[in-house]
Amino acid sequence: MTMTSPQVSAADLARTEEYIRRVRERVGTVVVGQDVVVERLLIALFSGGHLLLQGVPGLAKTLLVSTLSKSIDLGFARVQFTIDLLPSDILGSEVLDQRTNEFRVRKGPIFTNLLLADEINRAAPKVQGALLEAMQERKVTIGPETFRLPAPFLVIATQNPVEQAGTFELPEAQLDRFMLVHRLDYPSPAEEREVLRRNAALGIQRQDKGAIVQTEFDVLDSRPVGSVTEIVAAMEAVSSIHVSDTFVDHVVEVVHRTRTHPDVELGCSPRAGISLIKASRARALMHGRSYVVPEDLYALAEDALLHRMRLKYGSIAEGKTGRQVLDEILRSMGGEARA
Amino acid sequence: MSSSFPGFDLSLPRGALPGEDLLRASPSVGMPARWNDVVLPGSELVAVSADRKAPLALRIVATRPHGDGFRYDFEYWGLEPGAHDLRTLLQRRDGSSTADLPELRVEIRSVLVAEGAALPNAPRPAELPQLGGYGALLLAGGIVWVAGLVAILVVGRRRRAAESAGQPRVRSLAERLQPLVERAMRGELSREERAQLELSLVALWRRRLGLEESRPAEVIAQLKRHPEAGPLLVRLEEWLHRPDARGAGEIPALLAPYRELRADELDGPGGAR
Ligand SMILES: Nc1ncnc2c1ncn2[C@@H]1O[C@H](COP(=O)(O)OP(=O)(O)O)[C@@H](O)[C@H]1O
Ligand SMILES: [Mg+2]
Repeated sequence: MTMTSPQVSAADLARTEEYIRRVRERVGTVVVGQDVVVERLLIALFSGGHLLLQGVPGLAKTLLVSTLSKSIDLGFARVQFTIDLLPSDILGSEVLDQRTNEFRVRKGPIFTNLLLADEINRAAPKVQGALLEAMQERKVTIGPETFRLPAPFLVIATQNPVEQAGTFELPEAQLDRFMLVHRLDYPSPAEEREVLRRNAALGIQRQDKGAIVQTEFDVLDSRPVGSVTEIVAAMEAVSSIHVSDTFVDHVVEVVHRTRTHPDVELGCSPRAGISLIKASRARALMHGRSYVVPEDLYALAEDALLHRMRLKYGSIAEGKTGRQVLDEILRSMGGEARA
Repeated sequence: MSSSFPGFDLSLPRGALPGEDLLRASPSVGMPARWNDVVLPGSELVAVSADRKAPLALRIVATRPHGDGFRYDFEYWGLEPGAHDLRTLLQRRDGSSTADLPELRVEIRSVLVAEGAALPNAPRPAELPQLGGYGALLLAGGIVWVAGLVAILVVGRRRRAAESAGQPRVRSLAERLQPLVERAMRGELSREERAQLELSLVALWRRRLGLEESRPAEVIAQLKRHPEAGPLLVRLEEWLHRPDARGAGEIPALLAPYRELRADELDGPGGAR
């Protein structure tokens, strides 16, 4: 079989599963539902790929990432992207030291393990470009010096749907840097009731002589549920997940079909297939398997492939969406063949 | 006493001013001129608000008390050449008569020659373009455009028709699945065929359960929960995807039910498209 990997013992796998359960449980105390999003966050974390969360404001994107960051034991920084942000606000800059009269490097917030790039499409393209380049290179040049980013290094970005005013759409080439792009859905009615119930139970917080109304962000438990060792163990476990030839064939087929579908202008790059396999391995681990199965492919296809496809103008004009086309491709797999 | 434009005194600092005569040297039409330090008797004078057609306009830049009267800085500009009297543009703030004022004569010069004003050259008659040339051009362009559109549509349709005629025949799911099952039961599947077998069985069950319109990611989860499809897919997974490839021996028994497929079952709605 193609991808034989270092063996991780069953006991190690069990420990990792237990760690994942604890993280999910902790996140669940604050965030209602959104299980799939939590899964995608952990997939990104354990497979070292960057993740973009896309959805309308108020779906708890920021809350979710903040909660995750507190439950794992990693360096965390959040940058709120705005129109007037500069690349140096993220990467860092050289500052003149008044006493020594020499330039000193001030490292930016990107020098962390988990960076939340919140509302990334509000920043000007050159800022987005600076971040995405650093994500790709995993190093940053400030003045004459180049610094490596810490390990692990993971960017979780959020963005509003691109139709919203005052935003800069990320071009495909930059979206390609994200291993996964996950599109959030509204909560179910039951989940929404629970969100409202929990929110109503929050009290006020006394501060100085006055008080402020608490938000979910104020009550986050900041004690991590595990250590970096456990994250590294999980990353190791992911790379031991078995990928069969048959699975590789499935991935090749779906990627190939994105390139030949009549509605698609630009099909997926090989990087799409790599991302799909990487993410599938992490998903298998999260589901307690030591090998990937087609279910992983079907579950992750949208997040791994959709942002790497561009439809033809004609098809868009006919009202087709990328999601529809991808679903069509997935349905056609195994269903029919050209003789 | 303050200037007549409180907080907006335009008068230049004393030393910076050229001589008075120079200032009063007749300006040309439309050019402002200054006449500073004019001492006039009587109560305070203000400028008459001039209408737009008046031949002369006057602004009092500064007013300072001087003995019984006041000392004024004037700015004026003429709109018609000739001699004018600034008195005509002055009135007393208290409304009393201005008859005691001396003549305040200013001269406005014209820079244009008085006689035989310059006229633009008369246009030379040019040859007229052919009448209706533009219309004809437009018509011709329109015809070319329509012809091009028709050509594109016709050629495009032909090409599409040619494409679909030249395409390989689409095999139905049944035609595709049955040989795979046969070969699998005899243990003769190639690597590619194994992948096809797995996906074809997923497609078969999706169709059997009428899940063609559901989203593919959900379909798999549903199939796995189904009492018949679930075990089949899980056993296939164990055979095809587990590192230790479990259960190869059970494959013939597992696939036996899929040897004989009713063709109509497979080529119903959403069949070979
Ligand atoms: N699934 C959820 N669980 C808990 N709170 C939620 C959920 N969805 C929305 N909320 C509420 O919405 C607020 C907005 O969350 P926020 O993270 O700022 O959204 P976003 O970053 O997506 O705009 C949260 O503080 C919380 O009160
Ligand atoms: Mg937010």
